Amino acid sequence: MVKLVFQVRVKNQLGLHMRPAMAIVKLLEHCESDVSFTYKDKKVNAKSLLSLLLLAAGKNSTLTIEVNGEDANLTMEKLVEAFESQFPLPEGGDCIKKSDIDQPKP
Amino acid sequence: MQVEQEIIIKGFALCRGVAIGKPFFLSHDDFAILETRILPTHMEREIERYREALSRSKQDIKRLQKQLEMESAAEGILILEAQLEMLRDPLLTIEIEKEIKNNRKNVEFVFQQALLRYQEQFQEMNDTFFAERFQDLQDVSRRIFGYLHESGHLSLSDAPPHSIVCAQELTASDAASAHSDCVSAFLTEIGGATSHAAIVAKAKGIPYVTNVSLQNLKDHAFHQIIVDGRTGKVIFNPSKETLKEYEELRDRMQQEAKALERMAKWPAETFDGYSIRLSANLDMTHEIDLIHQWGANGIGLFRSEYIFISTNGIPSEEDQQRIYQRMIGRMKGLPVVIRTFDIGGDKAALYQSFCNERNPFLGCRATRYLLKEEEILKAQLRAILRASIDGNVSILFPMISTLSELRQAKQMLQKARQELNLFHPIRVGCMIEVPSAALIVDHFVKECDFLSIGTNDLIQYALAIDRSEQALNEYHEPADPSMIRLIKLIISEADKGRIPVSLCGEIGSDPRFTALLLGLGIQELSVPPRQLPLIKNAIRRTSIVDAVQLAERALSMTTAQEVLDLIVSDYQKNTSDDLFYTHSTS
Repeated sequence: MVKLVFQVRVKNQLGLHMRPAMAIVKLLEHCESDVSFTYKDKKVNAKSLLSLLLLAAGKNSTLTIEVNGEDANLTMEKLVEAFESQFPLPEGGDCIKKSDIDQPKP
Repeated sequence: MQVEQEIIIKGFALCRGVAIGKPFFLSHDDFAILETRILPTHMEREIERYREALSRSKQDIKRLQKQLEMESAAEGILILEAQLEMLRDPLLTIEIEKEIKNNRKNVEFVFQQALLRYQEQFQEMNDTFFAERFQDLQDVSRRIFGYLHESGHLSLSDAPPHSIVCAQELTASDAASAHSDCVSAFLTEIGGATSHAAIVAKAKGIPYVTNVSLQNLKDHAFHQIIVDGRTGKVIFNPSKETLKEYEELRDRMQQEAKALERMAKWPAETFDGYSIRLSANLDMTHEIDLIHQWGANGIGLFRSEYIFISTNGIPSEEDQQRIYQRMIGRMKGLPVVIRTFDIGGDKAALYQSFCNERNPFLGCRATRYLLKEEEILKAQLRAILRASIDGNVSILFPMISTLSELRQAKQMLQKARQELNLFHPIRVGCMIEVPSAALIVDHFVKECDFLSIGTNDLIQYALAIDRSEQALNEYHEPADPSMIRLIKLIISEADKGRIPVSLCGEIGSDPRFTALLLGLGIQELSVPPRQLPLIKNAIRRTSIVDAVQLAERALSMTTAQEVLDLIVSDYQKNTSDDLFYTHSTS
């Protein structure tokens, strides 16, 4: 069991709003580890869309992320990459299409 | 209690058409939530009830998504996807079930308590943008409650065919989820002519009448309702004669609509051979098919703010380029006019207005705000430049009120060109929708390739009327002599400068104004796709000679009513067979 704690900065213009929050939830869907985000003393389950929205983390906020589990390293990499690139839209579309989001269940 | 006699009510018509059907009540009421104890033996059943409600809500949303996909309305799919995610959210699944078990209370009570807690948390947020997210949660909750409450038939998708949907108020998502196969008309107590719901209803062609008192209806059993969306007349329990009259009318209107659509291949020219460009206003990508189907010249106005709906915020330059490129590609070489973002200084407010389902294109906005937010305007201009290399694209700047604003905007474009090293020709124009611009239009003419008259705002500012108010004088403002003169002034100066003028406001899509606009000298009309057949028909039924004479007479009149009477009688003379716009005003 690996536990990792690290920080990220929210670079998105509008903060951690609907689209990035959705992207995070989808990203973590298949991760085994437990993941939590802490912002200003509020700690939430990062796999819960509502919890992420309740954080109301605006642009330039610093989040502390805790990842606990077998695939912690990979999860951390994915999260760091996602925050750095500001959650871009998938290729070939002008918005997130349903087919982009539906991933086959393992 | 059965009411036998025919009852006629006059409401305010928001969308034209005639419908005959049965009432279907849509309620957004909060149900009275009772708190009851659940015995341990009934616990499992209670949890099962909740899971069932969640499951049915999921099915509803998936069905809505399919509908949006088929209509190629990529917009809104993200919002629905987020709602689906909320239905899977541990806070709404595991946590609620835990509470039901721990507190031994019924689902409705537990769920509502949780909702109130979240509402408090959302309301505490300083940032209104985040606080507004609660609306999405509320939307989902209403659905869940509808399936928990035994008699709750909340969803429009439950409406049987030939339903006249009756509600206190209509939200845009109600209008969006209405199938025109099942929903024949909307009746509401309150509603705005420029509300998002009305716009969606018009886009779908569903008759809509508001200002109807529905209180009386609930106590009586009305079997049939006739809705006349042209006059705003609503007839409850129509007599045999009335029913027959309207059935025939409705059939004839359907035939007329079909006949008009067959005109798609014919040119938009008067019967003496004067042709004008008839283009379409584009808000939603699925309308592009209609544009081709109904033979428009091109896109006369692409309201670029619409892309906010699908991306929940201002998209990146790359994302925008993709969107514009796809649209331009689908237009297959036909001209496209892209209007740069028409938003205020507060981007959150724009997104807010989408969520609150007010008209998303209203608000305090101007290119001046965009000029301050240089990054945003430049990114958009760069995206347009990159997307337009192989297309026939023009750029339109909105809400220009001074010449220096226009010059700054053009400088921004020049900067963008230099950064990208792209110097392919693109026509640049600006909207004339503020009186200050109209008054110095001769200067604008020298620095633009074309002009576009935005009558909606021009009327509002020139006559000092707030168009978001439920205006009783919907008809009179556009026909006001001051408006006719303003349009004439703009066109005269543009003529001297040899540049074309297009018109993209509401009056452009009202066929009774078509001849007048032609006679004043408009070279291009841009209308909602659904109106293309009617406007083309109006063009073909007049001659430019008559149109010019009509305009001269209109210019000499002193009141809006006189002008309106003139153009209406002219329209009725030329197009007496149009059932949508020619009718007695009783």
